[in-house]
Amino acid sequence: MDCAGEKTMAESAGFALLTAAFALLLFLALISPAGAVPSYARQTGQECIACHVSFPELTPYGRYFKLTGYSIGKPFVTQEGFNYMPMAAMGQVSITNTQNNYETDPTTGQSSPVTQRNDGLVFCCASLFFSTKINDYAGTFIQWTYNNLETSADGTLGGHGQMDNTDIRAAYKYSSPGAAEPDWIVGATLNNNPTVQDVWNSTPAWGFPYTIAPLANLPSAATQLNGTLAQQVAGMGVYAFWQKTLYGEISLYRTADGAFSILREGLPTRIQGGVANLKGYNPYWRFAYSHEWGPNSIMFGTYGLMVDVYPDNLNTSTPTDRYKDFALDAQYQYITDPHTFTAQLNYIYEKQNYNASYPITVSTGAGYGAGPTPANPSDNLRQFLGKATYYYNRQYGGTIAYFSTTGSSDSGLYGADAGGNPNTPNSNGFIFELDYLPIQNVRLMFQYTAYNKFNGASNNYDGNGRNAHDNNTAFFNLWFAF
Amino acid sequence: MKRKHVALAAMFLSGVLTAASAQDNAAAIQKAAEEKAVNLCSTCHGPRGISTSPEFPILAAQRKGYLEAQINAFRHQTRGEKDAHDFMWGIAGNLDEAIIGGIATYYASQPPAPGRTTDPALVATGKELFDKGVPERGIPACQVCHGPDATGRDDFPRLAGQHAKYIVKQLNYIQSLVRSAPVMHGIVKDLTPPEMQAVAAYVQSK
Repeated sequence: MDCAGEKTMAESAGFALLTAAFALLLFLALISPAGAVPSYARQTGQECIACHVSFPELTPYGRYFKLTGYSIGKPFVTQEGFNYMPMAAMGQVSITNTQNNYETDPTTGQSSPVTQRNDGLVFCCASLFFSTKINDYAGTFIQWTYNNLETSADGTLGGHGQMDNTDIRAAYKYSSPGAAEPDWIVGATLNNNPTVQDVWNSTPAWGFPYTIAPLANLPSAATQLNGTLAQQVAGMGVYAFWQKTLYGEISLYRTADGAFSILREGLPTRIQGGVANLKGYNPYWRFAYSHEWGPNSIMFGTYGLMVDVYPDNLNTSTPTDRYKDFALDAQYQYITDPHTFTAQLNYIYEKQNYNASYPITVSTGAGYGAGPTPANPSDNLRQFLGKATYYYNRQYGGTIAYFSTTGSSDSGLYGADAGGNPNTPNSNGFIFELDYLPIQNVRLMFQYTAYNKFNGASNNYDGNGRNAHDNNTAFFNLWFAF
Repeated sequence: MKRKHVALAAMFLSGVLTAASAQDNAAAIQKAAEEKAVNLCSTCHGPRGISTSPEFPILAAQRKGYLEAQINAFRHQTRGEKDAHDFMWGIAGNLDEAIIGGIATYYASQPPAPGRTTDPALVATGKELFDKGVPERGIPACQVCHGPDATGRDDFPRLAGQHAKYIVKQLNYIQSLVRSAPVMHGIVKDLTPPEMQAVAAYVQSK
């Protein structure tokens, strides 16, 4: 790979190993009777569209498959022998174009690129999955990802492998005598990303956009629920789904250290700011109402998280900052042959109480470690995303989405403009996407992200004359799984 | 004499126990099949086999022999239209003969789905076709095999109450030979799309 920066021997060996694993998996997938489809398809004998509107968005049956512990179908090993390859692989090849990829330093007058590999063909990234039924009551979704374009602190790119989304669960179905459907599905999950266990695609972990340009310049503010804790924490929860109507889940999240450290394997845990470090066990909740009629299904829900975070992940002797996230979400799906229409809405409100970081910033002018340096004792951050998707024949698709981030102005977190006014985290814009799936596990896509506001302003948001729309991103991508 | 009586009694007892054991075994198989229907099939085919989505056929009150034949066709991959391939090959591949029989028994014994009329004029046209066929074009009446009320006959399937969209889709699959149905190929080969819509609307209304 022609990555910028020197690659170490270990990185080269890692990439070679990954390539060999990919080749082996491709071979095994091709000789498998289930064809070139991932491991759940081999497990169930069903095609991707049984569970996915288009990956990763789940159909009602896909939600049932996940809620019942990924346990439909057969285990990969039985008394009769080895049934199928329980592993799968995924990769993406793309070209990204940033509208204005150059920024001029006002003091030196020198121009430099904002993102790397702009307009170049890149392979990024590759994932391996161990996703399979264990027995009639349990199954796994375990993803490991190799990012060959990982950006180091000094801006160089290099290869890096780490644990990605993981959800290991067990479930039990209970039907009263004479029942027509399961009255209860109850289960337990161990996962490493709040909302990765959720079955509706309105929540962040499996929400739109399902993939983005690997090196794009992105808005900086995000709520804790929106990926900030992803792959850094261990969550243990129990859930119940009553008569396919009411869903409830309670989980507790903690730092993924000690016995749970496998859930964040590969992350820079010994670097300041490398991972989040939570104090104790932190509650997450999820409640939803679901209804299906004809080819339609709808869900209205709420979920949230309250976490106490050590500002310096390497120092647990300090007080903690508290983040309280409350979210509302909804999903509608109309699934027929050949027309499919789906829509999701998601709104997250986050209250940030800087009980640790604000006092230290006021008294010393700096935060704890790489932690935040707020100018206010508390702030709020609000994120909204709404998207609508149409697919014809599950093959030709189009999506339009609107996203928005708004929040308190805080010069400590977001800087200030030339007049000394504190900046906001505000960003918003649209995402347009066109998709073509020649076969169900291969997607050709064109995604265009248009910013109206970026990190607080539409124009000159960084004080160097850069405007929000300079970050508009065109992304051509080939995404495949086998 | 006494010894003969003892032997006869032992044989009788053994017969009773064997019959009871077979009965227990059959009951256990039926229970397992119904659990499969309740916990798995119902996800797409609806509670007691009455699906709400027209993409998935209603199974309630379907003929037992027809159900068995179709599940076996999925299992042996001899019914191969896209939906069968994408959804049912995998599901049926994990079932054995006994469970298939139990599932068919379960759905055959469920109360039928109520009829649903969307377009009375279309239903009337469909009734004419269903009851009388189109003799001048050599299309026989559907009711000859599917019964005067479309409830099926022997192993000919029940059509009454079935989703019209599903009926039209299957007629197209059979007409284009994507789905093998030897008796039906000759009957539907000249059926036009409006005729398919009409007859489907009629049987859905029953």
